[in-house]
Amino acid sequence: MKQMLNAFAALAIIAAPASATPVVGKPAPDFKLTDANGRIVTLSGFRGKTVVLEWTNPGCPFVRKHYGSGNMQRTQAAAAKDGVVWLTINSGAPGKQGYMSGPEAKAFVAQSGARPTAYLLDPRGNVGKSYDAKTTPHMFVVNKAGTLVYAGGIDDKPTANPADIKSARNHVLAALTELKAGKAVSVPTSRPYGCAVKYAES
Amino acid sequence: MLLGTAAHCQLPEPGKRAIAVSLIPEMSVVAPGETVALALMMRPAPGWHGYWKNPGDSGMETQIAWDLPAGLAAGPIRYPLPGRLIVAGLMNYVYERDYALLVDVKVPATLPAGTKLPIRARVDYLACTKELCVPETANVAVDLETGAATVAQTKRAMFDPFRQALPQPLGSEARFERIGSRFRMAIPVPADLTLREPYFYPLTDGVVPYAAPQIFSRAGDTLIVETEALSNGSGFGVVDGVLKLNEGTSVTLRATPGTVPAGGKPVKLAIQHSASGASAMLPALLGAVLGGLLLNIMPCVFPILSLKALSLAKASGDESAAKKEAIAYTAGAVLICLALGAALLALRAGGTAAGWAFQLQDPRIILLLLLLITAVALNLAGLFELPAVTLGGRLAERRGLAGAFWTGALAAFVATPCTGPFMGAALGAALVLPAPAALAIFAGLGLGLALPFLLLGFVPALRRRLPKAGAWMEQFRRLISVPMFLTALALAWILGRQAGVDGMALGLTAAMVLGLALWWVGRSQGRGAAWVPLAPAVLIALEVMLLLPVAAAGSAQAPLQGALKTEPFSEGRLAALQQEGRPVFAYFTADWCVTCKVNERGALQRQQVAKAFAARQVAVLVGDWTRGDPAIGRFLEKHGRSGVPLYLYYAPGKPAEILPQVLTPSRLVSMLS
Repeated sequence: MKQMLNAFAALAIIAAPASATPVVGKPAPDFKLTDANGRIVTLSGFRGKTVVLEWTNPGCPFVRKHYGSGNMQRTQAAAAKDGVVWLTINSGAPGKQGYMSGPEAKAFVAQSGARPTAYLLDPRGNVGKSYDAKTTPHMFVVNKAGTLVYAGGIDDKPTANPADIKSARNHVLAALTELKAGKAVSVPTSRPYGCAVKYAES
Repeated sequence: MLLGTAAHCQLPEPGKRAIAVSLIPEMSVVAPGETVALALMMRPAPGWHGYWKNPGDSGMETQIAWDLPAGLAAGPIRYPLPGRLIVAGLMNYVYERDYALLVDVKVPATLPAGTKLPIRARVDYLACTKELCVPETANVAVDLETGAATVAQTKRAMFDPFRQALPQPLGSEARFERIGSRFRMAIPVPADLTLREPYFYPLTDGVVPYAAPQIFSRAGDTLIVETEALSNGSGFGVVDGVLKLNEGTSVTLRATPGTVPAGGKPVKLAIQHSASGASAMLPALLGAVLGGLLLNIMPCVFPILSLKALSLAKASGDESAAKKEAIAYTAGAVLICLALGAALLALRAGGTAAGWAFQLQDPRIILLLLLLITAVALNLAGLFELPAVTLGGRLAERRGLAGAFWTGALAAFVATPCTGPFMGAALGAALVLPAPAALAIFAGLGLGLALPFLLLGFVPALRRRLPKAGAWMEQFRRLISVPMFLTALALAWILGRQAGVDGMALGLTAAMVLGLALWWVGRSQGRGAAWVPLAPAVLIALEVMLLLPVAAAGSAQAPLQGALKTEPFSEGRLAALQQEGRPVFAYFTADWCVTCKVNERGALQRQQVAKAFAARQVAVLVGDWTRGDPAIGRFLEKHGRSGVPLYLYYAPGKPAEILPQVLTPSRLVSMLS
């Protein structure tokens, strides 16, 4: 009886089902999203290529740190040179800071000189939540076999000050270099930093 | 263009900050070799918040780049206890009101008096609303000078509340373990400390998901926190964090890997977050609805349902009337269940006011449940019948909405005593759960009870498919009595654990007397005054409740105000007693400090100690640091301690003797000579 009541009380306290956190070293969750041009893009469609996922919010000062300084564009260009697929994902909900429609996203990519393979729109936040993307930026790297090999921040200087970029370790570039050399990613996780992803209130 | 996209109207006005920052020293004249506390005052504009050291799922820790005169050194930032802010499922550890970050600056002893000390700092911090974030930078400055500092010049009245908002060091080490996807931690917290809203704020990142609910339970002097573990996070050597105990009380702690005992008694949280609170109720509510649904096949309810179904089937054609009747029936069932729940809660409130602790620790509650469950089991086994079914049957024959409403009400009412384990659980839950949750469970039971009839009202085809009432129901009812008897057995065992063999024997006697009385009731049922034999049985049960040795359960809360005479500590009182030439024993304790409580129970409150102290007229001063009294904090610091316990003995005319942190009665007695 006591056990039963304990279980009962515990049951009453446990909240909504746990979010499935993606695990580094396990297959990256597949997804299907529309890009800025209205095309359907799936992660599994890039099997055989290394894929970088970048969560973004153009209004977030931490994102602006890396776009305003050109750091994100340089990282994207370096990835593109090695044939790495770069998917920029905006999980901002309509009406929230940084939400973009397709044409707005296209204009943003053109004006900022960004080099993503595709700019994906996730206004309902489903893909963001399936990756447990918390901040902008929040970076993920998926290897050619479809395994998640990196999750975390763009670098190791969690500030909004562009001056810190020079002395920071770019975790994504480092991971891509290691993958290219056939090595394991030496820093597979780090703490992401930035603004909260502006998800729709559920 | 990039900078333009976020230019919303909520942004702070140009030239104004979202969080105003200023640097205030506790004293502007500092003696060389001393430490001065600086407060970085942070004042968020309405709607804005700043971040704790661990910002949570997003955000940024505040960073201070000091520009100090040579020789000066600034310590780490000391953060007050933050609050929690969940935005779209992401946890933020924040300050939504003015807060002060404290930093200690050490002035070298080599500096001559009159040296000017310009303190400069660049502060980088993040200010956010629920919608957007602005990183801000503030350059702050203050000028200090070396010299003879006087207490009068210090801003103690201003700084004391700042210090009080800081968590205090717990002093004892916690342990944590990871089992599968669960993270569990055992924290030493005295059993008799009341916890209203505990929460563990992790400082070590990557161990637990911040937004996951934390479940607290207690086993003796151990508080157990359980939450999800991050799948990526393993192999941590230590987990640091701050435990909020109650409003205004928090402690810093460090946990190392180790085994965590199985959960004890759950800690009832006053209010969960509104968002998660609502979803937390869902499983319990679903369980209650399911339980209510099962009530329908209980023999004392089913006849009502079948009668109503039959009458609906006969009166086929008028569909809207059938629907209305179904809704009225549902309303009746739900309302009566709610009323029963409310009555129970009112009883509970009355009992609490009378000093009854409505916890399963109280053997009287266990006895009450034992007798109730025994009666229910005997009823299910067929020893006696409850008269309500016939009454319900009569009313069920009435037509119209009022008739339907009262049928629903009666179905719920007659269902109450013969409901099997479900109602037992609901009753228990009503006794121990917070009121809204308990009421929701009762409403769920009512809804579940009414569900089949609701379906019959809206889906006419179902009316002819209803299984026929018959002997199978009686069989089922007898069968249900088995788990009920087992429940009663378990309750008797718990009673034995709590109140000893005598208590259990008393409880079983009460159950037997009740059983005999009910047997008698059953035998004479059908004749008048059948319920009379129950009266003496109830009286005996009440008497047993009064006789039951409650002390057995209360022993964990042994009275702390034992034979030792104490008075509250103050430096003034200490000085006065010393002037009188009296020996003084001063001890510093906190309600959340296990070592302190163990020493108090095991040594300080012993008779031999009290006698020895009384013989030598030792004055005993107690400093209670539970809520972080800054005056006591300063006194502790003076004695080289950052926390409690601290035991000091002042023999007349001698400097203080610091006693070990673990006391024994003999050590206390020998200290006097």
